[in-house]
Amino acid sequence: MKELVDQIKTRLMDQNIEVPEEDIVARLKKLVEDFHVPEAEARRSVLNYFLKEHGVVLVRASSEPVKVSEISEPNRWVDLDVKVLALWEPASDAISQTGLVGDSTGTIKFVKWSKSGLPDLVEGRSYSIKRVVTDEYQGKPSVKLNRTSQVVELDHDVDATAVIRSGPAEDNKIADISEAGHWVNLKTKVVQLWDSNNETISQSGLVGDETGSLKFVKWAKADLPELIEGKSYSLQNVVTDEYQGRFSVKLNRTSKIEELDFDVEVGSQSVDFTGAMVDIQKGSGLIKRCPICRRSLAKGICGEHGKVDGTYDLRIKAVLDDGRRVQDIIINRETTERLVGLTLEEAKKMAMDTLDHEVVRAMIEERLLGRYYTVTGPRVDRYILVEIINETPVVVARDVDELIRLVEVD
Amino acid sequence: MAGFSREVARRIFAEELRNSNRSFRDVEDQYAPSYLLTPTGAKCNRVFMVGALTERDNIGSDTEYWRGRVVDPTGSILVYAGQYQPEAAQKLASIETPAFVAVVGKPNLYQTEDGNVIISLRAEAIQRVDEATRDRWILDTARRTQERLKALESASPVLAEFSTADKAASLPSTDVDQAKQHYNTDVKQYRQVVMRALASLRMDLDRGPRTRSDEAAMHDVNKADAVEPDASAIDAATKDASHQAKVKLEPKQETTKKNRSKTTASKETPLSGFSGREEQDEVETISVFKKS
Repeated sequence: MKELVDQIKTRLMDQNIEVPEEDIVARLKKLVEDFHVPEAEARRSVLNYFLKEHGVVLVRASSEPVKVSEISEPNRWVDLDVKVLALWEPASDAISQTGLVGDSTGTIKFVKWSKSGLPDLVEGRSYSIKRVVTDEYQGKPSVKLNRTSQVVELDHDVDATAVIRSGPAEDNKIADISEAGHWVNLKTKVVQLWDSNNETISQSGLVGDETGSLKFVKWAKADLPELIEGKSYSLQNVVTDEYQGRFSVKLNRTSKIEELDFDVEVGSQSVDFTGAMVDIQKGSGLIKRCPICRRSLAKGICGEHGKVDGTYDLRIKAVLDDGRRVQDIIINRETTERLVGLTLEEAKKMAMDTLDHEVVRAMIEERLLGRYYTVTGPRVDRYILVEIINETPVVVARDVDELIRLVEVD
Repeated sequence: MAGFSREVARRIFAEELRNSNRSFRDVEDQYAPSYLLTPTGAKCNRVFMVGALTERDNIGSDTEYWRGRVVDPTGSILVYAGQYQPEAAQKLASIETPAFVAVVGKPNLYQTEDGNVIISLRAEAIQRVDEATRDRWILDTARRTQERLKALESASPVLAEFSTADKAASLPSTDVDQAKQHYNTDVKQYRQVVMRALASLRMDLDRGPRTRSDEAAMHDVNKADAVEPDASAIDAATKDASHQAKVKLEPKQETTKKNRSKTTASKETPLSGFSGREEQDEVETISVFKKS
């Protein structure tokens, strides 16, 4: 124990931090004896504890009270009095909460790290948040709440109404959505509803208009009417969100839903992707589908209709990867037949001869895995539904020369 | 939307891979993905490689355990597949050498007793491909490497200044900065690697139409001989690693197994040259400045 204490003391001294020995001992003892923390682990924990305490002091001196509109550059430590206007679903476990806060001068995105250990903010309430660090991404400022930050609920309401009024939702087409945190109005049709296993979400799925489709999430707290698959609605004042380059819209308490008396036609814009095929996923090859809803069956059972007499189909679910991004793709029967050179009838015969469906997937792997392809088709959720697929052109001397020149110039 | 997203397969020439010796996790959790940081700043949990398979042997005793050597214009990498990668193992076993193969795999570092850090790939998938695919891969990998080199060059000098009072913030925050700091990367050296790969591809193309596959493979074998000394040390290491994989895969672990996988997991951290505490602080810094 003495040795551990000395080690900690030395490390703290390195940082010019003086802590009474008995404080270190007390904290260390608690961890080791009461909580059976291994010594090395305890040492680190105690060290971090005191370093953190010190860090707080350092930072406290340098944060300054500001209004939201005054935040214009990253890496400043600031204090804000704000109201929580919206909470979004965190994109990562590292984030405990994210959303929009505002005061009389403007709104700003906030991120509260899981490691911060701070209490949860509640939508609609006002807080004094101190020692938060400003950040900026693609020209949009945000504030991050970390371990050294402090959150205190205010007993008065921060007036952020002016801000909400100053940023009215715009009428948008789905294809035009290119930024998170925008308030938009959409006229869409519900393409698909998904099962939700999260009680904070009342409904989620895909909505589409003539320009494309995207995911929507309707929060349970939003208290909005149920959407029905296949019907068209005007979604007003919904907020855009983004995760890994894919956009979605969130329907919250301020949103409105009105059923339309006409049918929105769902179209899509074709996109291209070129990359190596790095995975042929399960559910590729010869599959069976539910005769009623066309969903693929798992062991002869449809998620919706139970045990059914399925019909055979051929398809490929695969992943293309260009070294920077991955793209899930789905290839339908016609294209699969052409690409692999195997008809559905031949595939069925193959499977019957070997008494194994997997033989079809193995053959697809043999032909496609590891090769480079360019695909074109509409993007639906995280998939490209492949309409055209070609192996990328053979490398010719000119391609190599061009790249050599580029490398030489740089 | 929180949830699983597949790791990108990075493109890295064998020579750069072999010079990589830093692995880390974004969060301190034994189940968190582990990443390899390469000298040009590629942060990879997965690698895609196409080259000539020049050897493949079953080095297992009780169960089959296959080792293959995949060669690109800059060097060679050992690829392993055992009972926990059954499809890849079976594929590797069935391919006659030499042959062009595509490999999707996880990089794996091992430290030998004399302190050398050796890298190999644990194959997730391996597939025989044609020469045209190998050509595309070289061009593809040259492009990606060139992009990383550009990012390295335009990055601020090591230990860039951050206008904040938080002391920890002076640690580097991006993959590029980290690579610079850890490897002291010589951009020229890797530009030459790219040039060498492209020049060799250019020569192959000059030699005319697609009749050169055997010859090219042999040509590559000779190159490989010069650079790769011992495989046996890595064999032991990767076997160990594949053991780990088993432990990690089993959902219902006994406590003893848990401990075991914990120790094996922590084995990777000493490679970084950072002490535990600094490692943690570093992670914290990243999260503070991560763009979200």
